Amino acid sequence: MRLEDDTPIGDLDLAVIDRDGAVREAAQALHSRGDVLRGGLAAAGAIAAGLLLPRSAEAGELAGGDRSVLAYALSLEYLQDAFYTEAERVGALTGARRTAASVLGGVERAHVRAFQGLLGSGAPARPSFDFRGTTEENGAFLRTAVALEDLSVAAYKAQAPHIKAPAVLQAAVGIHSVEARHAAWMRHLVGVRPAANAFDEAEGRDAVLKTVASTRFIVRKTPRTTRKRSPRFTG
Amino acid sequence: MITRRKILIAGGTGATAAALGGLIAAGSETARSDPSASQDAEVLAFILGIERIESGFYAAVARTGRLTGELAEFVAIVGGHEREHVTFLEQALGSAAPKAQPISADVAAVANDPQRFVRTAAALEDAVVAAYNGQAANLRPETLARAATIVSVEARHAAWIRDIGGLPPAENTTDEPLTSDGVRDALRQVGLLS
Repeated sequence: MRLEDDTPIGDLDLAVIDRDGAVREAAQALHSRGDVLRGGLAAAGAIAAGLLLPRSAEAGELAGGDRSVLAYALSLEYLQDAFYTEAERVGALTGARRTAASVLGGVERAHVRAFQGLLGSGAPARPSFDFRGTTEENGAFLRTAVALEDLSVAAYKAQAPHIKAPAVLQAAVGIHSVEARHAAWMRHLVGVRPAANAFDEAEGRDAVLKTVASTRFIVRKTPRTTRKRSPRFTG
Repeated sequence: MITRRKILIAGGTGATAAALGGLIAAGSETARSDPSASQDAEVLAFILGIERIESGFYAAVARTGRLTGELAEFVAIVGGHEREHVTFLEQALGSAAPKAQPISADVAAVANDPQRFVRTAAALEDAVVAAYNGQAANLRPETLARAATIVSVEARHAAWIRDIGGLPPAENTTDEPLTSDGVRDALRQVGLLS
């Protein structure tokens, strides 16, 4: 499977995805950083097996900057988790795409659980998503996967130098390179060069969130109904 | 690109690195001590050594002309990337860059066997990813930021060659780091280091 022949290698991004109408509408900055990151869903997930995150690092022990990076990373992992998990659930993909959705879904879910566990009650809640048909067809799925993975690589790359806790840094760089593997894998499946350049550039938080908002994949703010509340009366 | 050429090390050259003449510098263990300009130089000298192995390996394989199709494309593209990485690191280190050494590999045997080439290149790229990840905490933030622009490209190479060869491109939830000794062991196992 190939993109249109005139697609310049290395320029596969959400603008390219837009071509088949999956994400046609103009960018709308519906979701400010606060919308994406705010929330109070208590983390149920334990730290994922095999993920090198510090068990001892309870929420309160992390510096504010690290917590902010982790909450931001979690918001991006929610997006990827939801995308692949929905593709699996819909069951419309075939062959290598089907396998990829299954493998990547498992990995992104593990990232989500790990970050939720690390952030504890300070973890942002999971938003609601509408992937606008991109989980239901091989071509749209792959192009969206490429864009999401490339974006994720650029996002982690920009955050890594700001992380203070060594264990969190180690986990972040280990995830960063895994996301790059995913990006290359999806690119190979879609038929564009897996490594477009000798250097991958970082992308800051505002630019990343603006791109995410432009997809309109996030359809609702933090669902308040899932917020855990203490009952006012008991007995 | 100018921004990229801006020296990775902002001041200080690390006489330690100059003293490390080997193909892969000694030391550079994970989380050794607080980041500093001299430690950055030491780490980058180690990284330069493995980038030279990659660059030299792909150049030698390309010269044999034995690989065809997508494997030949992989060698040409990735070899070009590795040369850029070497140039970048040499410029960053300046006079602190260790001397280049000839690579140790039976290149003809590898290039004559596409399956062996895939296994060797996959092991090499995986080891390089683990090498960068293993050094992340040893670098000052500004140096880590530049190194991070390379490591994800190495991870892309790893996934690409793995997918060509029918190996899982991304097997794990995270990429495990390796110490410099671990990297050297991994390279010895595939004959890229004596």
